[in-house]
Formats: sequence, structure tokens, C-alpha cells
Amino acid sequence: MASIHKSTAVPDTAVVSLGEMPRPTNQRRFLRAFLRNKIGVLGLVIVAVMIFSAVFAPVISPYDPNKTNVRARLTPPNETFFLGTDEYGRDIFSRLLYGASISLTIAVIAQTVSVGIGVTMGLVSGWYGGWIDDLIMRLADAVFALPGLIFLTVWVSILEPSKESIYLALGLIGWAADARMMRSQVLSLKEREYVIAARAMGASVPRIMLRHLLPNGLAPTIVLASLGIAGIILTESGLSFLGLGVQIPNPSWGTMIDMGRNFTTSAWWYAVFPGLAIMITVLGFNFLGDGLRDALDPTLYD
Amino acid sequence: MTKYLTRRLIQVIPTLLFIYTITFALSYLMPGDPIRAQLGEEYYRLPPETIAAMEESLGLNRPFFVQYLDFVTRMVRLDLGKSYIQKEEVSNIIGYRLPRTLQLMAGGMFVSLIIGIPAGVVSALKQYSWIDHLLMVLALIGLSMPVFWQGLIAQLLFTQSKTGIALFPVAGYGDGNPVYMILPSLVLGTSLSATIARVTRSSMLEVRGQDYLRTARAKGLTPRLVLVRHHLRNALIPVVTVIGLQVAGLMTGSLLTETIFNWPGLGRAIVPAIQTRDTPVIMGILMYGALTFIVINLLTDLIYAIVDPRIRYA
Repeated sequence: MASIHKSTAVPDTAVVSLGEMPRPTNQRRFLRAFLRNKIGVLGLVIVAVMIFSAVFAPVISPYDPNKTNVRARLTPPNETFFLGTDEYGRDIFSRLLYGASISLTIAVIAQTVSVGIGVTMGLVSGWYGGWIDDLIMRLADAVFALPGLIFLTVWVSILEPSKESIYLALGLIGWAADARMMRSQVLSLKEREYVIAARAMGASVPRIMLRHLLPNGLAPTIVLASLGIAGIILTESGLSFLGLGVQIPNPSWGTMIDMGRNFTTSAWWYAVFPGLAIMITVLGFNFLGDGLRDALDPTLYD
Repeated sequence: MTKYLTRRLIQVIPTLLFIYTITFALSYLMPGDPIRAQLGEEYYRLPPETIAAMEESLGLNRPFFVQYLDFVTRMVRLDLGKSYIQKEEVSNIIGYRLPRTLQLMAGGMFVSLIIGIPAGVVSALKQYSWIDHLLMVLALIGLSMPVFWQGLIAQLLFTQSKTGIALFPVAGYGDGNPVYMILPSLVLGTSLSATIARVTRSSMLEVRGQDYLRTARAKGLTPRLVLVRHHLRNALIPVVTVIGLQVAGLMTGSLLTETIFNWPGLGRAIVPAIQTRDTPVIMGILMYGALTFIVINLLTDLIYAIVDPRIRYA
């Protein structure tokens, strides 16, 4: 039973084959394979534009995102307000730019937490095997099965929706895929000559893990991270939409949709544009992840 | 088969007890209490004796383990208790809402299969053609939209003549009128259909070169029969797995879809229950959520055996 699960149970985001870290000679081939993939490059461009907007929001945004203007409230998109205004007359385009930095920061930090937990779990699980492996993998199964948003809802009720608690919670929901991936990498890497040689020379376990297993097994994790960021942006927006997200003066995109849904009939642009921003960003990370995966895995081209 | 089923069903009990314990501990740890949440400002004006009396009537002044044991013994008798806030039996609340959530999830699942499997099959049969590229980009777009935003867009476009066409009711349950179910099911099913299309495609491609397909063609079966009975049927095994794995996602999606469409399901009951620290309601809903989850996963495993007769459960 368990074996059936392991061989076929690949959720969509985890359909990543076991490519190896491109060695220096392979790096150019990898780069060329990636650049040939139009969708992947498009993803990279979208992600770059989004990061740029987030970082330079104070420079690019035409208005102060929190400046109210009663006379211009709920103005439809026009030449003054590119994407219209909200019920306080605040410029939606400027608010979206500031929202980008919030959504992206949360996603990147949470993903780092989840990769950190996942890679450590995977290294330990794959290297030691036995009951440790069983324990960690059953734990990963349980995390996979968890309805993430419901867990988050309970979590923020206990710990308050501070930034830190949300990073941690999102990381705790996301590590299972990274752990499985790293574990399968370690299982194949630990039979390699250079690992066996390192062991024979008496290298310590942490050294083998950090010097040999981690760098050689990390490539697929990068693919997962790109897809994972996409997932986290979606989950975080759902949490904000329920009114349980990070409470800060500048709203995240999900919060903006939540605020705008009261005005959908009179001011469609209010809720539509933040959602579009989420969609484009998530699509960018998904495109990028798919492109990286295809470039890492030559077996996909038959 | 019977033995396997019995073993799986027995495993349900410790799993539920584990979830129950964790949930209870969590609701106990949550800051604030139902009385304060219910009274609001008035909490600070009432004399402490009144508050204490209210706490006593709900049994909140007892130590952790006493309360826990009380909850567990009641659950064994299938008594979920009363809501602290609504003064209604939790079993009544769930009895009303659970079928509606399941109805919505079934609707979403139906939509996702109807769209996802044909899309995946077409994509695989026409690999690298423009239609394959188009469908796969559409699938990625479907995966990239927040479900609650899709709901809003769907409401804008299909429920009112001011911003679109007035085809469907905006929201609500409509006393079970199926028309009210169409839009929420479509919205809930979109992202799952994208996942199913992707998995169906890659699985179809993987099965493509198998010997039994050549044999089937060689013995003169029509291409259509080969496709349906041999190619698709074998390609569906990973799809079934993915459906099982996506149940959690479907539950999350239904929480958000219910919120947008004002659908009277469990999801719309749990958020206020958490905000008011209504422990019996939280526990009841999570227990039923977990049970639903376990049952669907068990069904998935049983469907394997139907799709792939090689799998036998001892």
C-alpha cells in the first residue's frame, strides 16, 4: 500500500524529476536549455518586473499609497489614476506597488523557512534511513494532507497574525515537498563514489551533508522553491482575504480584494486589479518553475 | 479486501483521537474566551460574579484535563455538545452545513473532471501542437488565480446585467435550487481541473509507449477503443492519486468559495467560531472535516483497485 503511494503520489507541484546539480561543464548547457524555453524566460521576466516594482515602489508610485482624497473617491481608471481609486480616494496603482513588496517579502521569507526545514528533514531522513526516515516521511504525509488555510486560520487565532508567526506557519505547511525531494536526492547521492570516498576518509556527517549532499542535491529544490513561492502568495492572499492576514498600514493584495469586494458593482476596478496582480505574479513564478524544471531534466524531451 | 478495509477503518479511531486532542489543546490555548467575545464591551461593565457564574454554566472554570475528559467522553457518546454562542446543538449545526459543503465539493470535483480529463487527453494526443500549448498555458493560468478572486469575477460577469450578463443568482443557497450551485462549483473546480489536466497529460504520455497498447492496436481494436479502454484507463491511476491528495485543497477552496457565494457550509461556520472561541463548534467542524478527509482518501485507495486490477489489498 505504502509503496503505491510513494511511487505514484506526486502532487502537481512536486512533479520534478531528479536532475543533478549542473556541474560547471553542464551549467552552460542548462542555461541554454532554459533560455530556449520561451515560457520559462517569460516567467523570469515577470518575476524580475515584480521584484523591481516591489523594491522601487517608493520611486515608481505616482502617489502616496495612504494619501486620502475625498473628492476623488472610487474614481474609475483614467489618465490621472491609472487603475482608479478606492473608497478613500487612494490611488490603487500606488497601493498595488507597495502591496507587491509585502506579498513578495512574505512569500520569499516563508519559502526560505520552508526550504530550510524541508532540506534539513530530507538530508536527515535520506542519510539515516530506518525509523528516523519513517517518522519524518509520515510527518511529511500528514503535513501534505493538512488543509493549509484552515490550519493557518487556527494558528493566527492563537498566535496573533504578526509577520513572524505567519512566516513560520507558512513555512511549517510547505516543507513536506522539499523534504521528499531532498530525501530522494540523498538516497541516490549517498551511493556515489565521492560520497563513499569522503566517508572512508573519515569526514564527519555534517561535513558530508554540507559539502557533498547539499550542493549536489539542491537543484530540484530550486524548482520547488519557485513553485512554492507561487503557492504561498496564493495561500497568504486567501488568509488576508478572510481578514486574518498581517495587519500593517499598507495592505497586501489579498486584503485589497477583501476591501474591494464590498464595491464590486459600483467600482469593479477596486477588487479586480489586485487579483490580476496576484495572478500575474503567481503565473510568473509558475512559468519560471516549469522552465527551470524542463531545463534541469533533459529526459523530458523525448 | 474485507480485512484491509477493517484495518483501515480501525486506524480511523486513533487518528481522530489525535486530531481531537490537538484541536482541544489549541482551542484551550487560544487567547480570549467565548464569554468575552460574546459580550464585547459589556464584559468590563458586568460584576465579576456574573462573569464567574457564566463561566461556571459553560464549565469553563474547570481545569484543562477535566474539560478534556468531559469532551472526550461526550464524543464517545456521539454528543458534540452545544455551541457556547448560538446555544444550539453542534450536531444540528453540522447536520445542516456538512451536506451543503459536501454538495459544493462534489460539484467542484465534477467540474474539474469534466474539464480536466478531456483537456489532458487532447493535450497528450496532440503533444507540442498549438492546442497542447494553449491548454497547458490555460491550465497554468487556472492554477495561478486566487479562488476567491475568480468568484468575484464570475459574479461580475455572470450575475448582473450592469457588469455582464444576468445568467445566475449572485449568491446564496436558494433552498437547494441547483441553479445556485453552478457558479460556485465552476469556481471551486477551476484550479483542480488545471491540476487534473496537467497530470492526465503527463500520465497519458508516459503510458503511450507501453507494449499493451501496441498489442491492443495489433489485434485490430478501433483507435477509440484503444484510447478509452487501454490508454486512458491506465493513465488514470495517477489522476486518482492526485484527486485524493487534492481533497485538502478542495476543502480550503470551499472555505473561500463559501465566503464569496454566501454558501451555508461548514467553512462559513468555522471562521466566526474561531473568532468567538466557540470550542464545541470548532471541534465538531474539524472532526467532521477530518472524517470527510479520511473517508475520501479511503475511497481513493479503493478506486485504485477498480482502475488498476493489478492492485490487490491483502
